[in-house]
Amino acid sequence: MASTNTQWGMVIDVDKCIGCQGCVVACQSENNIPINTEDLFNQRRAIEWIRVERYWEGEFPDVKARFIPILCQHCNDAPCEPVCPVFATYHNNEGMNVQVYNRCIGTRFCANNCPYHVRFFNFWEPEWPETLTNQLNPDVTVRSRGIMEKCTFCIQRIRRTSREAARDGEELSDDSRELNPACVNACPTDTLFFGDLNDPDSKVAKLAKEEMSDDGRGYHLMPQYGTSPNVIYLKKVDESTKDSNGSHE
Amino acid sequence: MQEHVQLTQKQINDDLLSSVLHTPRWWWPAVIVTGIIFLTGMGAFGYMLNQGVGVTGLNRPVFWGAYMVNFVFFIGISHAGIMISAILRLTQAEWRRPVTRAAEVLTVFSLMSALMAAPLVHVGRPWRADLWVFPYDFARGIWINIRSPFIWDPSAVMTYLTASSLFVFIALIPDLAVIRDRASGYTRKFYALMAMGWRGTPRQWKLQAIAGILLSALVLPVFVSVHSIVSWDFAVQIAPEAWHSTIFAPYFIIGAIHSGVSAVATLMVIMVWVWGWDKYLKPDHLDAIGRLLIIVATTWFFFFFLEWVFALYTLEDAELAMRDLQVFQWPWSGLFILFLVTAYFIPVPMWLFKSIRRSYFWMFVTTILVNIGMWLERFLIIVPGTMRRGEFIFDWGSYHPSIIEILMVIMTFAWVVLGMLVFTKLFPLIPLFDIKEGMVGRDEIRIGRRIVPASIRE
Amino acid sequence: MNNGAHNGHGALMTPKAVEDDLLDKGRLRGSTFRIAVIVFAVLSVLGVVGFVIRLADGFGNTPVWGYHAALFAFILTAAQGAPMVAIAPRIANAHWRRSISRVAELFSLVGIVSFVIYIPVAWALPSMEDGRRTLWFYGELNMPAHMPEITTTLVLLALTVNGLWLLWVSAMPDFAMLRDRSTGKKKVWFSRLARGWVGTSGQWNWQKHRLGILGAFYFMMLVTAHFAFSLDFGMSLVPGWIDALYPATHAHNSLQAGVAITLITMYVLYRFGGYKDYINLDQFWGLGKLLFSLSLLWFWFWFSSFIIFWFGAKPSEEAVLDLLFVGPYLPIFFIVFTFAFLVPLWAMIWNPLRKSVWGPVTIACGVLIATLFDRIRVYVAAFSVSESTNKHLMVEIPGAVLPDVADVLIWVGGISACILIYMLGTRIIPPINIWEQKEVLLYRIHKPFHRTEVQVLGKPE
Repeated sequence: MASTNTQWGMVIDVDKCIGCQGCVVACQSENNIPINTEDLFNQRRAIEWIRVERYWEGEFPDVKARFIPILCQHCNDAPCEPVCPVFATYHNNEGMNVQVYNRCIGTRFCANNCPYHVRFFNFWEPEWPETLTNQLNPDVTVRSRGIMEKCTFCIQRIRRTSREAARDGEELSDDSRELNPACVNACPTDTLFFGDLNDPDSKVAKLAKEEMSDDGRGYHLMPQYGTSPNVIYLKKVDESTKDSNGSHE
Repeated sequence: MQEHVQLTQKQINDDLLSSVLHTPRWWWPAVIVTGIIFLTGMGAFGYMLNQGVGVTGLNRPVFWGAYMVNFVFFIGISHAGIMISAILRLTQAEWRRPVTRAAEVLTVFSLMSALMAAPLVHVGRPWRADLWVFPYDFARGIWINIRSPFIWDPSAVMTYLTASSLFVFIALIPDLAVIRDRASGYTRKFYALMAMGWRGTPRQWKLQAIAGILLSALVLPVFVSVHSIVSWDFAVQIAPEAWHSTIFAPYFIIGAIHSGVSAVATLMVIMVWVWGWDKYLKPDHLDAIGRLLIIVATTWFFFFFLEWVFALYTLEDAELAMRDLQVFQWPWSGLFILFLVTAYFIPVPMWLFKSIRRSYFWMFVTTILVNIGMWLERFLIIVPGTMRRGEFIFDWGSYHPSIIEILMVIMTFAWVVLGMLVFTKLFPLIPLFDIKEGMVGRDEIRIGRRIVPASIRE
Repeated sequence: MNNGAHNGHGALMTPKAVEDDLLDKGRLRGSTFRIAVIVFAVLSVLGVVGFVIRLADGFGNTPVWGYHAALFAFILTAAQGAPMVAIAPRIANAHWRRSISRVAELFSLVGIVSFVIYIPVAWALPSMEDGRRTLWFYGELNMPAHMPEITTTLVLLALTVNGLWLLWVSAMPDFAMLRDRSTGKKKVWFSRLARGWVGTSGQWNWQKHRLGILGAFYFMMLVTAHFAFSLDFGMSLVPGWIDALYPATHAHNSLQAGVAITLITMYVLYRFGGYKDYINLDQFWGLGKLLFSLSLLWFWFWFSSFIIFWFGAKPSEEAVLDLLFVGPYLPIFFIVFTFAFLVPLWAMIWNPLRKSVWGPVTIACGVLIATLFDRIRVYVAAFSVSESTNKHLMVEIPGAVLPDVADVLIWVGGISACILIYMLGTRIIPPINIWEQKEVLLYRIHKPFHRTEVQVLGKPE
């Protein structure tokens, strides 16, 4: 176990996001997420632990398409945690909101109570084409039907690197490719940063400190719910579109 | 006013035990038909177990659908029993006497249906749900999460089921003894066992009365807590905007009484039509229930009004979008109008007329309408509530129940009917001793030219 | 005796005896009564003095008017809820209410005082131009900026008038008795009030229907008044306080406090008024049970609201909880919780206490104190939130506002004025309902039953 002082977190620089969906694909293959077929999308049962939402900013002539990657915010006061009757979702001592698949009985209560809507239910038994069964990640459980799942910050990578660091007697190097979740590694524009928010020397902690100040670009998603997320978004307020709120039309 | 008929004890026995001592010709066909419907639903359940929850219409924004609606609906129906039995017993309303047992039995079977709807078929892995309804295994050091309303729920429902089964049983004992004395062979043994040596001594009567009153008083907090907790399944959540309202507990409770008492009225009419117990279930009783229902329905409507006022009061986009969806967008708009009309605007104005309240047929129609409306009410709370007209448009979705869900919804209704049918074959549905007690205890007082019904008080 | 009115006094078993006795009691008032009237009159004048001091602060300074608003809310809750104690059992045909109903109905008179107290509150309420969130969607619907004051005034007027009308209709047969027994100027007055009542079947039917309709309307008006006042003068002043149940809670508190205040008044009549022949254990027991169940419901109403805010724990909700429960008013909330729920629960489950005269009355005093503090907690807090820069979130939680001399004077004066008007009311209207007392004598007979004698009670449809 890593020290209990760790607080894993992510910083997402929305200004850099180009909406390429690279993170989505990386997540898909790292975490053994079943193929999201067209049929599954039509059923509205596709599973994307990280998704890229597109929204419009500004009124018609000056309209801008914006993208925002949304994943589990690993809230410190997570609304999904108290409602689970069997502790299938709980907060671990590294500040992460984790899902225990074996305990889950599939009440879907947590999914309803997540304001970010990042929890997914396995409506079907997952299936892969014969040719892809050998590409499954051995470090990640394949989830059966009837249970919830969601972004884990690629906990298997964190565990492996910290185990290896402990074995070799090294400091856990922050922001190394081995530690980073798949989405962070896949991002071509360095939109995503991952690290320990409690370690003052880490990149994310520095970014958080700098950007969450009064003149910084940092904000939490949907602060009105008071969930205190561990994911920080960075976005420069566009003066030209300040008056009109961003719309999803 | 009250067209009272004084009946002899023998006649009461003959009338009310007819369903137990003789098998009516329609009984077996009815049992077989409902049994087949029930088994079809069970088959659908097996198919869902085999394939996964994907066979339902549930999808990503709408995680809770018809099963949850059914759960809330049957918990609502189950509030009839205690409302009629406990509250009317404590307030000594005379007209409760012939209705109590039917209401209590309805409570028991609808609670079973509710349990069937929510933990059993609702969850993703029902084979593990027992670990949730009953305490988790200690050995692994993992206790259930008592902060979750889904733990409060089974605790409250199981308590309520236990209490109302006891309620039925305690009121049944004197009648069981009556059947025991008229039965022979192995049935006699069965009833003798059930009657637990009842001989009708003063001490036994006293204990039975005390047990009834104690249970009435103790079950009332359970009665209030059950549906409050069911409402908190929804209301404690912050993400679906429409649910996070403090009014939910009283709103659900009064709605439950509305649909439950209506269901009892429906049942009373059916009892009159099927067994011809019109000497016991008189228009007077329907009249009293009708008047009670006017008050209940109007209170319910007031809470409905409060819920809406405060939904608009927030002026939050997500909440307003949800309300817009609920009221103005097809098909929800149609369902919404149907719900309002059936749950309130047809029945209540009709109940204002005495001739309607005293008519078996019209009470049957109006109370059935109420329950259609109340089912839709829960549907309109749960489904559009989860449809999230919130910040992320990728999550906007819709829902319609699949054939599998519909089969299972029908199954829960069939279960209640089947349970009631079997119960009436084994036990009298109108309490014999209560009717006799009422007959003994009633009197009349002459004031001037009027005769006023009166009752003997200790 | 389980449920029946039981006078327990052999001499009062005939209608004539009841009538003579009660009318005599109404006429004879000792010097204590006169002294009490003078004392309360003087105290009421003190209230006016307090009001004048308060007026010096001006209406623009909203927080200082908190205690005044709380006083009005308390009177609305306690005194104007009391007539329901007469209305509800009368509709349900419960016989034990007979000696209670007039005691409760007389509280309609307090509506006059409470309306006078309300007028400055309406002035102190900030106009909707400050942009706070209200039910009236000011700005969206182009409502007049003083819509809350206008509607609440109308509702309160309707409530007061309705109450007085109810009292008059209910007292009409008694006025007729007084008319028949008085002379001179009094006779003229009473015959005006009795409106030619002679007791024909038609008149009795008319009265029965009027009582039913006015009672139902009183209940609706009461709920509406609580809805309007709690929403427009309480909740809308606190950003983020979106509690759909609160108007209903407010109305429920009114029923609870109404039962409590009726119990206390009955005790005063029982102990000092010489009405022991009419008021006895039955009434205290019946009202005690009612108070017990309403106190249990108090918890349910409170908890239903509280758990949503506490479990939801949005920042806006936590701010509201901070203001109303765990923040500056925590000690007051403890008092409320103890006396409105804990004490009634743990005391009233004890049989000897529930079945006594002193028990329910003591509990009722506690409940009344709890109601008083509860209104202070809510309205002083709400009036102290003057900044509404953010419609959804209370950014800064104001500290506790303590009463000053003017507030104390206003409270003493206001409550004295209520007691005064009630006492003066009993001079004109008999505090025990004579016709209802006589009616029950017809409905109750005793007769032998097997080896014992039982009471048979008629229940007309």
